[in-house]
Amino acid sequence: MSQIEVKEVTFAYPLREGVGMRAVKNLSFSVEKGEFVALVGMNGSGKSTLAKLLNGLYTPTEGEILIDGISTSKDENVFEIRKRVGMVFQNPDNQTVATIVEDDVAFGPENIGLPREEIISRVRSALDAVSMTEFADRAVSKLSGGQKQRVAIAGVLAMRPEILILDEATSMLDPIGRREVLKVAKELNEQGITVINITHNMEEAAFAKRVLAMRKGRLAIDGTPKEVFASGLLEACGLKLPPVMQLAKALADRGFEMPSSVPDEEELAEEIWRQLK
Amino acid sequence: MAAIEIKNLNFVYSAGTPFEKHALKDINLTIEEGSFVGVVGATGSGKSTLIQHLNGLIKLQDKKHSSVFVNGMDASKRATLKKLRFEVGMVFQYPEYQLFADTVAKDIAFGPKNMKLSKEEIDARVARALEVVGLDYDKIASRSPFDLSGGEKRRVAIAGVIAMQPKILVLDEPVAGLDPIGREEILALIKKLHEEVSPTVILVSHNMDDIAVLADRIVAISDGRLVADCSPKEFFADRQLVKDIGLDLPMAARITDALVQKGVPLSADIVSLTELADALSALKEGAHV
Repeated sequence: MSQIEVKEVTFAYPLREGVGMRAVKNLSFSVEKGEFVALVGMNGSGKSTLAKLLNGLYTPTEGEILIDGISTSKDENVFEIRKRVGMVFQNPDNQTVATIVEDDVAFGPENIGLPREEIISRVRSALDAVSMTEFADRAVSKLSGGQKQRVAIAGVLAMRPEILILDEATSMLDPIGRREVLKVAKELNEQGITVINITHNMEEAAFAKRVLAMRKGRLAIDGTPKEVFASGLLEACGLKLPPVMQLAKALADRGFEMPSSVPDEEELAEEIWRQLK
Repeated sequence: MAAIEIKNLNFVYSAGTPFEKHALKDINLTIEEGSFVGVVGATGSGKSTLIQHLNGLIKLQDKKHSSVFVNGMDASKRATLKKLRFEVGMVFQYPEYQLFADTVAKDIAFGPKNMKLSKEEIDARVARALEVVGLDYDKIASRSPFDLSGGEKRRVAIAGVIAMQPKILVLDEPVAGLDPIGREEILALIKKLHEEVSPTVILVSHNMDDIAVLADRIVAISDGRLVADCSPKEFFADRQLVKDIGLDLPMAARITDALVQKGVPLSADIVSLTELADALSALKEGAHV
């Protein structure tokens, strides 16, 4: 059994009595524990709907989603699902509930009625995991965007989730904030947490081990970054090559021999140097 | 007459409280009509505070020592505030959140209506604005803006601003949250607006790759101070400054640096992918001679 099993899921937003708009259509895939997946696709392709289906904010109109074998469709499972699947959203200013950092992180554990000692220890380790310990007693409103998103991640971590979903969590951040959040996501993934990163940033997609590309509510591509970027469906999914691959392509057009794999900047520089020597 | 003339601009948030923050410090800036200015700076550096002074959204705090003039109008004067807002079009972050009317046409007509234009003129401007942003009037004008895709909504929001035919267009992170193709389309649109609609464009962005190729001038703000006002090439060539103020280099400049370290002779003023590819291609051909 996979950690996440999406089985022939269709989801329709109700428009009026008996009529819906299908945002996700007959979708099937599974994700194993510990994977780092980028979920990409055009605006309106169904990515965020899928994310909300995965933690039971929405339930499938047809089909079924199992998290650790537990169905999201049954009302009585909702707490079990939410405990396992944590989500961080786009806007850093919309997802804090308390004024002080540690109070905000404690909100979830308090809600599930944990003992005080346990709450304190969870808040400490969650802030530690996102490198925000020294900000524990600061006002959330005084933090940078990247720091706020790290606090939001800490709030999710305090619930000890098995799966972390980032729904365009870096899109409103500056480059430094973006790197901070990605670094934290990578470290958490190395500790065994499954990460699903919904993003429009192709460098972030290249950074994942697996990329799922959605198009018009369906899964158009499922593969490694290398496979996805080589796919003829890339533009149809609203996607482009990451900048470093655009450069590799421009060089290939000018007579350089470029490898087909996804090079990072360092590897690309190395390759160029080798050919200029 | 310059499009924008800012003298000794200071701004303090929550003055006299423990949260006092000096957001702008002695800013002096002149922007000529026809320029495409990229405003860069880390989060919290004062960029937004600065641009909000341009159409009177933020009032001058010290009228005695500082001034903001836009197309010759004193931005601190109430009498010309309305005219000022018609001449400076502001496209804020996620402008589609500000759509409100029940049809696309009505939404775009809101600004021109406030300008008390004739019905014919308003209709003509709505049609023209939709054409400029690349949307089909017949297909879209009578639809609800809320039924459109993310990229279309953003175009409608931009159309609402350009229907007022502002002389200065200010855009704050106009491509945030768009998919890669959508980004490219909106950036191409901004270029077109600069050429055809609003002669002066001010673009606030964290994306140095975009800024480097679009802007003809960079204004960099750090901790409330103006720290650079020059061409993109000059700005990014000052590697230490870019790093010190917490910004990234364009990708082409980063790879240039990696190659220079290995001994490849490349100029520090390479900022775009095409420039780098061309320079490398020239080196390669040279090596074969």
